[in-house]
Amino acid sequence: MRQALADSLARAAQHNNKVLLLTGDHGYALFDDFRRLFPSRYLNAGVAEQNMVGMAAGLARAGYFPIVYGLSAFIPIRVLEQIKLDVCHSNLPVIFLGDGAGLVYSTLGTSHQSTEDIAATRALANLAVYSPADRFEMSAVLDLALSRRNPTYIRIGKCDLGEVHSTALTLANNDIPTLRERDSPISFIATGSMVKMAIALADEFGASVHSVPIIKPFNKELFLKITSHSQKIVTLEEHSVYGGLGGMIAELMSEKRPTNILRIGVDDRFSHNCGSYQYLLEDHGLDIESVRMKLRRFLG
Amino acid sequence: MHPTFDTKKLRRTILDMAYAGSGVHIACAFSIVEIMATLYREHLRFPNGDPDAATRDYLVLSKGHGVMAQYACMRELGWLPDEAFSNYLSDGSALKGLPDSRLPGTEVDSGSLGHGFSIGVGLAMGAKLSMTDQKTYVIVGDGEINEGPIWEGCLFASHHQLHNFMVIIDENGFQAMGKTNEILALNSIQSKFESFGFDTLSIDGHDEIAISQAIHQLQKNRSKSPKALIAQTIKGKGVSFMAHNNIWHYTRLNSDTHAKAITELSGDSQ
Repeated sequence: MRQALADSLARAAQHNNKVLLLTGDHGYALFDDFRRLFPSRYLNAGVAEQNMVGMAAGLARAGYFPIVYGLSAFIPIRVLEQIKLDVCHSNLPVIFLGDGAGLVYSTLGTSHQSTEDIAATRALANLAVYSPADRFEMSAVLDLALSRRNPTYIRIGKCDLGEVHSTALTLANNDIPTLRERDSPISFIATGSMVKMAIALADEFGASVHSVPIIKPFNKELFLKITSHSQKIVTLEEHSVYGGLGGMIAELMSEKRPTNILRIGVDDRFSHNCGSYQYLLEDHGLDIESVRMKLRRFLG
Repeated sequence: MHPTFDTKKLRRTILDMAYAGSGVHIACAFSIVEIMATLYREHLRFPNGDPDAATRDYLVLSKGHGVMAQYACMRELGWLPDEAFSNYLSDGSALKGLPDSRLPGTEVDSGSLGHGFSIGVGLAMGAKLSMTDQKTYVIVGDGEINEGPIWEGCLFASHHQLHNFMVIIDENGFQAMGKTNEILALNSIQSKFESFGFDTLSIDGHDEIAISQAIHQLQKNRSKSPKALIAQTIKGKGVSFMAHNNIWHYTRLNSDTHAKAITELSGDSQ
């Protein structure tokens, strides 16, 4: 997935000589190709994220297409106001890449963990929010962001879990890819790193599975259509149960078609201890055994 | 008619719009009137008079609280109709109490402080990458430079030798709640910017000739450093009962104070 990102960035710069890459001193090996091919279009802004985002807005106003990279705990969380005021308010073409979202930095603690970024960014007007699950979705959402030329946040979570799609895909602005099609009363709706788990548990519970790489703008009509048989919906995300994918689906269904929903995610708390990624998933009840138990309780 | 940017007239415009809209921040605007007038009259280049021209110079009012001084200059340029002033802050007013970048000629959304400086650094970096001779001028308040991103931006501007970038610091000695040296002492602003690698000059920020000469002098300098012009100003300058009186950061005009202030500013500056 990271390689797909690196390749897409280099390809974007090749196609558009206004594409710039800004980093707040993060992403060491990720940008090797970009730096080699386009040294003057790579800017390490230093450990100064607020200034970096303001500058990105200035560069966009001067005709450039900045892609701003950082860890999701900092981009967008630390610089949320700069994203809102400097970029979103004028609808400037700036893409934000927030890496390591969720519990990826499992040993580093709360400063580097990011389970509130979707909630924070969803509420910013003009900002598209993408959350790819594998390398195919990664390439597709970056291509989509580059073609739309609007403010975009791309959430990059655990990226070495393997693929959920079998081939490359093109995402239109309103797609909700179906990964397990069934006329089932149970729908699993997942995003990012949790899509893989949704697929792993789908057969056991006879559920259909849909990935949501495009959190915003969300295609409500399509969602209501693909879940028209659903009596129970389960959302899965490596993010707080507040304000993220689960919150969004609950908002929609409560308005349009009240449905029983189980929101699986981080339950409004920080991690207590550190350890492996698997350890932290277990700590938050997001490992496959814990999720299976929650599903059994909910689905009966 | 060719705009003169007469500073008495600009201040009258500010008073009239503030009175019409019951607006605040009059003193914040008054301290930058001469800076604004000088920039618009002698330095900023807008090809074909177009505030959105792609090759324009950039004026970033990072200190958004002085926005009425900018509106007054835009009126001189014919960019804003008179109704925008008589209807200031009324329902549906396009002119807001703080800058909105969707208004032509306004580069940034300000009011939340410490944003415009970084945006200006980005504009200057863009001009450098595009190899144009566009200049970027950023006006910040001395209270505003409490904000951290200003100093992050200084590091970047200096490291990348953004000699096309000039920050003008409106050093009026006050911020919202009192004197800057009593709230968060800045000591020498000039030496701070010098230590960040800026070429600096300090001038009387109400002397238009001195402002213009200093801008020319800094730009004539062949150094690759970014520039900082420290403008010693008076908050509320131009009206006797507003000068040095920080309540005019917040106070609204009534018919009496409006009339008194207008009387003090009658006639032309020359």
